[in-house]
Amino acid sequence: MPTLVSVFDFPSNTAAAVRKLKDRGFDDLTTYSPAPFEELEEAEDPKPSKVRRFTLVGALSGVFLGFLMQIWMSLEWPIKIAGKNFASIPPFWIVGFELTILLGGFFTLFGLLIVGGLYPKRLDKHYNLRFSAEEFGVVVTCEERDVAEVEALLRGESAKEVTLADS
Amino acid sequence: MAPPATAVADALASPARPRDSRANIDIMAPTKGVQWPYFLALGAAVLGVLQALVVLLYQTYVGLGVAGYQQPVFWGLYIVTFVFWIGIGHAGTLISAILFLFRAKWRNAVNRGAEALTVFAVITAALFPILHLGRIWKLYYLIPYPNQRSLWVNFKSPLLWDVFAISTYASISVIFFYIGLIPDIAIARDRATGVKKAIYTVLALGWQGTGPQWKAHSRSVLHLSGLATPLVLSVHSVVSWDFAMSIVPGWHATIFAPYFVAGAVFGGFAMVINIMIPVRRIFRLERYLTDYHFENMSRFILLTSTICGYAYAAEYFIAWYSGVEFEQSSFWLRAFGPYWLSTWCMITFNVILPQLLWIKRLRTNLPFLFGLCFFINIGMWFERYVIIITSLSREYITGSWGLYVISPVELSVLAGSFCWFSMWFLLFLKVFPVIAITEVKELEIHARDHGGAH
Repeated sequence: MPTLVSVFDFPSNTAAAVRKLKDRGFDDLTTYSPAPFEELEEAEDPKPSKVRRFTLVGALSGVFLGFLMQIWMSLEWPIKIAGKNFASIPPFWIVGFELTILLGGFFTLFGLLIVGGLYPKRLDKHYNLRFSAEEFGVVVTCEERDVAEVEALLRGESAKEVTLADS
Repeated sequence: MAPPATAVADALASPARPRDSRANIDIMAPTKGVQWPYFLALGAAVLGVLQALVVLLYQTYVGLGVAGYQQPVFWGLYIVTFVFWIGIGHAGTLISAILFLFRAKWRNAVNRGAEALTVFAVITAALFPILHLGRIWKLYYLIPYPNQRSLWVNFKSPLLWDVFAISTYASISVIFFYIGLIPDIAIARDRATGVKKAIYTVLALGWQGTGPQWKAHSRSVLHLSGLATPLVLSVHSVVSWDFAMSIVPGWHATIFAPYFVAGAVFGGFAMVINIMIPVRRIFRLERYLTDYHFENMSRFILLTSTICGYAYAAEYFIAWYSGVEFEQSSFWLRAFGPYWLSTWCMITFNVILPQLLWIKRLRTNLPFLFGLCFFINIGMWFERYVIIITSLSREYITGSWGLYVISPVELSVLAGSFCWFSMWFLLFLKVFPVIAITEVKELEIHARDHGGAH
């Protein structure tokens, strides 16, 4: 199927073009942006990111494992300190808290790598170093019969270049 | 009517190399080329590290006695310097996480340098408890590891809390730093050649700035900020409890946690300013690091200096008001005992001098700021010296009082720690952009887009 590569100067135009393309049912599209822009993220996928689930699972695992580890180890080698119980909960909050943050942080990193598809790989065919300069890209794959409509739509939103690339 | 896409495709078949963005060129410039002053500075730093290494080998062979460890002071310069470097590391996380959550956009220009400073300060700090062990090969005793005798660490000890706090802080700082770097590494990858390109390609993890990548990245930074905010407040609180949980006069105070956190942010900002002023000047980054950024940082310094001043006053007031003789003696001897000079350096550099920042003209006077922050760093080191050394040398029984004298070994290791920190920062300057390029672009493009520029 044909692929159109368009270049924009501003995130607002790019977001508007993405919204119109999606409204017309052209869902097979990829955007490239030199910096994060909320309007573009919203236009492309308004659903909340799945990274939050990784963070939550990591943080809960941390607090659970943190307390479990301390309670088990304190009972495994019982020493009476300052008249407190062997497994005395209040001082365990410190390490429990630190492990909550530690595992929450590591799981957030894993979430980013998995959800963002980040691993050393060959770059997309249509990726261009212009997109790591200051320009925005929208790459749309559509049916042969829709090329003219997609192009008109992109240009209507001030695309400065639209090129038909091999798919 | 627009020309057909096929015609445009022909025209773009061999596009000229596109114009790069000014932010990319300016901010990546320090990573390019070879300048002899840089290698001179790096060489000096490496030599400083090597001399400390030789001294440490000697200390490890002979024992901690050569490091000035004498009755009654067994927490000496190593612990003082450990607390100092941990404190320095606090500004980075404050700028990256807390100011991010407050949507303070001015942080974008300084956060990368501050994050790098945090990572390197924490890895410097983490060395000191290890050196303080003396028998450094027994380091693994600090962590709970499975063993035949079912011996486990004491989870009720503040020293163990510190092990977990520092290692968590180091890990989260590195993750935060790396996640922020990924888009900028991709920029470097797209413009590098040879070995550099290969390294950047691996580190950039296939980053292309696609919608899903940015979305996952933004949310990760948000969640990490949420996690790092209570962490940064907890870390120096836990460090302060190493002291406050004991019954040593001068240490056993409930104010210690907020007092230490405010001091850490204060010292951290001073170090950020001390580093970013020369970086801005040498690499001509005035367009990105403006007087406005330094003024905002000086306001933080003024605020945290005032909090420190309050904490110092509260400590003295409570010592007097408590009616506890040992506490009163401890604080009297801080100001008028054998360590009076360090106490007055601390008060002068940390509380009195920073009050000059009420004057707006001085908040944007960079030579003045640089000098002030240099003295604040000295003052903050003395603060830890005062807390640790004066308290330990004057405990309950006068018969066990002693005088602590810094040994040449400790001074050598102290100098080595600054060289170690500088070495990492200098290497960082040559490899990664010192300002977060994508965050600068976010502001610039947003301003152009919504500022009526098109």
